[in-house]
Amino acid sequence: MTSLAERSDAPPTGVGIRTAAVMVREWAERLPDGVAMREKDYGIWQEYTWTDVWELVQDAAHGLLALEVEVGDRVSIHSEDRPEWIILDMATIAVRAITTGLYPTNPSTEVEYLMADSGSVVHLAEDQEQADKVMEVIESLPHLRTIIHIEPRGFRKWRDDPRFLLWDDFLEMGREHRAANPGQLERVMSDAALDDAITLVYTSGTTGPPKGAMLTNTNFLFCVENLVGIEGRIPGKPPNPADSILTYLPLCHIAERIFSAWHMAGFGCTLNFAESIETVEQNLREVQPTLFFAVPRILERIHAGIIIKGKDGTWFKRVWFGFGMKLVSIIGAQRVANDGDHTFLSRLLYLIGYPIVFRALKERIGMRRVRYAAVGAAPIAPELIQYFLGMGVPLFELYGMTENSAVATCNFPGSNKVGTVGAPYPGIGLRIDQETGEIQTKHPAVFKGYWNKPEKTAEAFTEDGWLRTGDVGEWVDGTHVKIVDRMKDIIITSGGKNISPSEIENSLKTSPYIKEAMVIGDGRKYLTAVIGIELDVVGDWATRKEIPYTTYRDLSEKPEVIELVQGVVNETNKKFARVENIRKFRMIPKALDHEDGELTATQKLKRQAMTELLREIIEDMYGS
Amino acid sequence: MRGRPLLYTRYEADQAILNTVTKKVMVLIFLSALLLIPFQVLPGLDFLGENDWLRLLSTVAIFIIGALGLNILLGLAGQVSLGHAFFMGVGAYVAAVLGSDPEGLRLGFGLPMWIWLPAAGVVAAGIGVAFGPAAVRVRGLYLAFVTLGLVFVGDYVFRNLISVTGGAEVGRTFPPLEFRLWKEDTPLIDFASDGAWFGIELTSEAKTFYFVLAVAILFMLLAKNLQRTRVGRAFQAIRDRDIAAEIMGVDEVSFKLRAFGISSFYAGVSGALLASFVGTVIPARWDLFLSIQFIAIVLIGGAGTVAGVVLGTAFVTLLPRLVQDATLWMEDVVETGDNLLATLLDLVVATESTDFGLINTLPGVGPGLSVFQLNQVIYGLLIILFLIFEPLGLFGIWIRIRNYWKGWPFTY
Repeated sequence: MTSLAERSDAPPTGVGIRTAAVMVREWAERLPDGVAMREKDYGIWQEYTWTDVWELVQDAAHGLLALEVEVGDRVSIHSEDRPEWIILDMATIAVRAITTGLYPTNPSTEVEYLMADSGSVVHLAEDQEQADKVMEVIESLPHLRTIIHIEPRGFRKWRDDPRFLLWDDFLEMGREHRAANPGQLERVMSDAALDDAITLVYTSGTTGPPKGAMLTNTNFLFCVENLVGIEGRIPGKPPNPADSILTYLPLCHIAERIFSAWHMAGFGCTLNFAESIETVEQNLREVQPTLFFAVPRILERIHAGIIIKGKDGTWFKRVWFGFGMKLVSIIGAQRVANDGDHTFLSRLLYLIGYPIVFRALKERIGMRRVRYAAVGAAPIAPELIQYFLGMGVPLFELYGMTENSAVATCNFPGSNKVGTVGAPYPGIGLRIDQETGEIQTKHPAVFKGYWNKPEKTAEAFTEDGWLRTGDVGEWVDGTHVKIVDRMKDIIITSGGKNISPSEIENSLKTSPYIKEAMVIGDGRKYLTAVIGIELDVVGDWATRKEIPYTTYRDLSEKPEVIELVQGVVNETNKKFARVENIRKFRMIPKALDHEDGELTATQKLKRQAMTELLREIIEDMYGS
Repeated sequence: MRGRPLLYTRYEADQAILNTVTKKVMVLIFLSALLLIPFQVLPGLDFLGENDWLRLLSTVAIFIIGALGLNILLGLAGQVSLGHAFFMGVGAYVAAVLGSDPEGLRLGFGLPMWIWLPAAGVVAAGIGVAFGPAAVRVRGLYLAFVTLGLVFVGDYVFRNLISVTGGAEVGRTFPPLEFRLWKEDTPLIDFASDGAWFGIELTSEAKTFYFVLAVAILFMLLAKNLQRTRVGRAFQAIRDRDIAAEIMGVDEVSFKLRAFGISSFYAGVSGALLASFVGTVIPARWDLFLSIQFIAIVLIGGAGTVAGVVLGTAFVTLLPRLVQDATLWMEDVVETGDNLLATLLDLVVATESTDFGLINTLPGVGPGLSVFQLNQVIYGLLIILFLIFEPLGLFGIWIRIRNYWKGWPFTY
């Protein structure tokens, strides 16, 4: 690897490709006073103009150069979503290094694995909590040279440790370096190559340890130009600087990275950083974004919130609300049957419902100005999409994965088939394997490979070079793709029947009372399930029924609650064939958590861990 | 932000008095309606432009200034004061001494209004601050007693300081509402006589109305602004819990003194305007009943809010008029009618000295309450009812209605 010190004397090559950092510079030239980011701090949304952002990116990039970060070095970021995340990410891209994001919920064992695997040399730990996690395992991280921290509080115990650097001092260091070495950053940036990896995105690791997928400038450019920016993907104009986005999912996940960082760099959209995942509903209401991306869990939460609050109303409000919900279900059904578009009847009903319920309701949940909402990253129940379509939120399901920069399929306006993940983007390669039913893709946004894992990389591709997604799908109407399930999750009962558990699980999770569901039955005679309740909703329900309870476990095991869940299970069973019916179920005795290893950082259930954990309960269901 | 009312990117926007378009439009409509009142063009409200109603509305505007003062003390800083009438009296007599004709019967210096009006406020504020050290040592009921004492001290002084006040029975005249630059013969602007402004013919009542309205709006803005400053927040902290406020770094004594001072300033200006507006006033005008009227205004309207003060003043000031009109109407029915309604109403009003009735329209003769006494009873009842059932006052009722629709389609 050439060192930067050597190369800085060389004249700029002047060729230059449009990396994300270059795009930020272009926006600063075109819209110097345009708002690039907002962060809620001290009670108001503090604004960063494009000029501010580009200045900060340059300072941070020079700071990295001053810290002798070289081409291809890894810079890891362990922080909640905040402007510094994006600034350091762009600065890293500018100096041709590689960004690795860690989930704020990652416990120190995972921090150890991720940082040792990536071998990062500079690490951003947001605050003392995250710094503690690194310091616990610092012995096994020989590459790590510098730990930048944003919050100054709680770092006194390390004040003599030369490895620590406050963010403000880091920027100051960058400014000094910038003054001493003018033009160096421009030269480094113009050397960027299409094949440069810009980020390692670690897969969530439902099976085995996480793998770092290397995404390159080519992947980024193809994703931005052929996925995000194409005409007709979203209603109205493609994303543009007038659009507002709420950034609230972890930025280290590919979905939020594309939807926030890449939308911002590529299209000039304004990012609004939510204060935390708990305040999403409040922040949504304040920001009223125009583009909105959600994972199913968030939509489930919003839906449950609406239902509970609706029931809590006074008599008159309940009547109106009930009428509104009736309209939602009729309009939703009409739109689902009409490829997502309004029919005459649904438009008429919407006109009636808008002034009396929908306008206020959408304002309350922060979706009044949403012109495009997307859901993905996990399976979602079609009923939920129908619900949001019914109240006039243009919601589209899409599909993609880390390894193909999320470029696979999406539902387009005018052909929004609820229950499918949509049609492949124009001009990309997507096929469904005849034998296994596996979806495979081939296009320039497919990743370069797993970091330091050539054998895993090889496994990820077919012999003819197609990316194996690991998802089983089927064609609907010859144009749209329906995901059956993850290949490894498909249940084959002892009767030899192939069953997709996620479809049943999602149907269960449509009920606001149920948060987690795992269907079991591989190699068994019949299907069973373990079910976890949504504490808030069931708690509220129990209070109303005057059922006393103490803890999550206590509430879960109340006969009334089991009866309530039985009702939901019966409803679901009606929708499926007899062999797909859940014969027995048990309650999960604790609220699942990432730190306890039951969920991935993206809140997906780790099936193997759960099967281990609940072995006795499961065996009990199949006992004689 | 436009279209996103909750997205505040600057503290100025977060703290703006009129922070939504709706509020701006409503205020604009309300202000234009007020300006149009004297022209009797508002459908259904044209009667407000009649001279006696205009005088009543001017009284409302003057009372609003006084009530704003008490609201700062009682509603914001949480200090009960029964001495408000005393400070109004101080203001009135300062105005009288400074502004009256030097050749008149009583003491006077003939200075113009731009001196006597502010001076009325400043002197009252000075006395308020001077009285402060006694008041800041006590709280609640005891403070009420201390301030009650002020009213009686004031009453005694006003009765006996004949050269200033004219004595208990006669009273004195006050300088008219007119604007002079100095002691020239014809005033620059004369509010107290008919004439044309900018080519529009206006009665003296209309001119006075416009003048006191402008002053009232100015004082409303000042009061509203005070709430948003450090001083205003310190007042509220003391109101909510004085010990906690001190722990947060609010100097209790200093801020209580300021509250008394500011409140007395408002009272002084209001008293000066009231006396000047009425013309001749006897010292008994500044008695306990006036103080209670102001407490009623603040509590009925909604303590701590400017809008509540406006509502409360309008309600309390117009109530006697309504009671009077109702009594007259009942009398009329009793005297002319001979039906069931007349019989029932006969039980309520007494029209002859020998007649039995709850309300006696012939003061001083026979049993029953006079209209004036009835008003006092009604104020008392309303204060009790509002304190028990709607502590936030009329404004609280409005807040509830607004929140009902704000929460739509939910309840919270």
